[in-house]
Amino acid sequence: MHRLDGRRVTDFLAAKFASPTRSTRLTVVLGRWLGIAFTVCFLTGLFSHGLQNPPAWMIFPTRPVWIYQLSQGIHVTAGIASIPLLLAKLWSVYPELLSWPPVRSVVHGLERASIALFVAASLLQVTTGLINTYKWYPWPFPFRETHYWLAWVIWGSLLLHIAVKLPAISAHWRRRQAAAAASNSPVSGASDAAVGESGAGVPAPGRWSRRAMLTAVTAATGAVVVTTAGQSFAWLAPLNLFAPRKMGTGPQGVPVNRTAADAKVADAAMSPAWALLVRSGPVTRSFTLEQLRAMPQHSHELPIACVEGWSQLASWRGVRVRDLLAAVDAPPESDLHVTSLEPEGAYRTMSMPAAYARDEQTLVALELNGAALDLDHGYPARIIAPGRPGVLQTKWLQSVEVL
Amino acid sequence: MSAGKSRRNIRLVLGAAGVAVLGYGLVGLPTQLGPAQLLGLLTWMAVAVLLHDGVLVPLSTAAGFGLTRAGSKLQPASAAVLRGALLTGSLVTLLTALLLKAQSVARKSTVLEADYAVNLACLWAVLAVVSAVAILLLERRGRRAGSRRR
Repeated sequence: MHRLDGRRVTDFLAAKFASPTRSTRLTVVLGRWLGIAFTVCFLTGLFSHGLQNPPAWMIFPTRPVWIYQLSQGIHVTAGIASIPLLLAKLWSVYPELLSWPPVRSVVHGLERASIALFVAASLLQVTTGLINTYKWYPWPFPFRETHYWLAWVIWGSLLLHIAVKLPAISAHWRRRQAAAAASNSPVSGASDAAVGESGAGVPAPGRWSRRAMLTAVTAATGAVVVTTAGQSFAWLAPLNLFAPRKMGTGPQGVPVNRTAADAKVADAAMSPAWALLVRSGPVTRSFTLEQLRAMPQHSHELPIACVEGWSQLASWRGVRVRDLLAAVDAPPESDLHVTSLEPEGAYRTMSMPAAYARDEQTLVALELNGAALDLDHGYPARIIAPGRPGVLQTKWLQSVEVL
Repeated sequence: MSAGKSRRNIRLVLGAAGVAVLGYGLVGLPTQLGPAQLLGLLTWMAVAVLLHDGVLVPLSTAAGFGLTRAGSKLQPASAAVLRGALLTGSLVTLLTALLLKAQSVARKSTVLEADYAVNLACLWAVLAVVSAVAILLLERRGRRAGSRRR
């Protein structure tokens, strides 16, 4: 009796939510795009994570100098693009939610549980990922750790989901196959037959065809990408309407994540007694700002690229790190431990692998875009290295130690 | 037969790889999140699914009913343009709502500096003009084609 009621309720709801636009073919096309977007996010995310928490075998590419700007710009942009794709994909399978009985067997129950986890984790990942780029994070779980581990959960769920659905995916991979499969199988949660044999052809009155819906989802995805990616890619900057960051803003035309006030370093950084300590084993030398300025100065155009996706190309001028190492008789192939004047914070100290230390473009920068560093950009001296996340471009330097 | 077998093997390998990767994430999560954080995470995920399945999809379905009624008087192509414009506008509105909320609680230097409400109004204006022109042209062409057929 109870069972019958459940079915009646879900059948009634399923009829209310029925749409002839839904079909397995639609789901397969959307799933393909979403699968690509998620995979791009996963791989670029792992690269960014590896740069910040390197395993022993990590490779640190320093060329092209914009490699991290590109990979992290793609990461955030693909994440934004996956929001409309995820919503459309979930809409296309919504009637599956109302299938009755909710669990038919142990295997069916496990499949539904895995999909619930996949959906919930994906919704959380794209939402908190986006909002984290707004520098607003009102949740009780930490962003970076949650984002990292859920990425594994989501990508594993994606592989599992493809394995489970492979027969349906391959039957609807091509348009012609899909039309044949739809006309052969009368049973389907998403009324395949209602769209007609051609599938994408003539829609029901007032409805839209599959092709029209896919075009609209593409347009909506394109709209959010084009109006936000300008924070990462300069050629899209004029269309940047809805990104949290804008190129060319901030002191000296470069955005700031953590100001001197946030870091509570203003007094230490402005002190006339400031000097940079460089240590290698028993040898320690200290360099005043005057002494640093008297050393050979090098200029490089390098991007500052943040984990949150925004980036900014700028002109930096200062002393090569390898020249400072030579001054304390350390080889350029040295791993370094760099400390900021900041009294506290996750990025007060930074490890610099030898790949960056030896690079001729890695600088202790004293100038930005033709003038002395602004206090918010790390005055009196900061690190700038090619191809590294912005949080590792340590500002307000205190010391550089050879490990 | 062998094609069927090899597909079954592909599914098994993919599925096993998926379970391994997924399991790695599930095992790793509690190594860095405490019980209270995990509870917060699970609550968030449950609420997200409820909001999506219980509010967002029913709302968009209700909007779809209205559009089906309005669209049945239009050419199929112009009904699709109308739906596409509303879909795009609604999506960007959703993102802008989050931006405006963030701006009201978390404004810092050089982040969230744009006037997003004005930008949203501009986007809706562009959508309205472009879709109105497209619909007018499509309707006129459709009617002319219809009268020729008659």
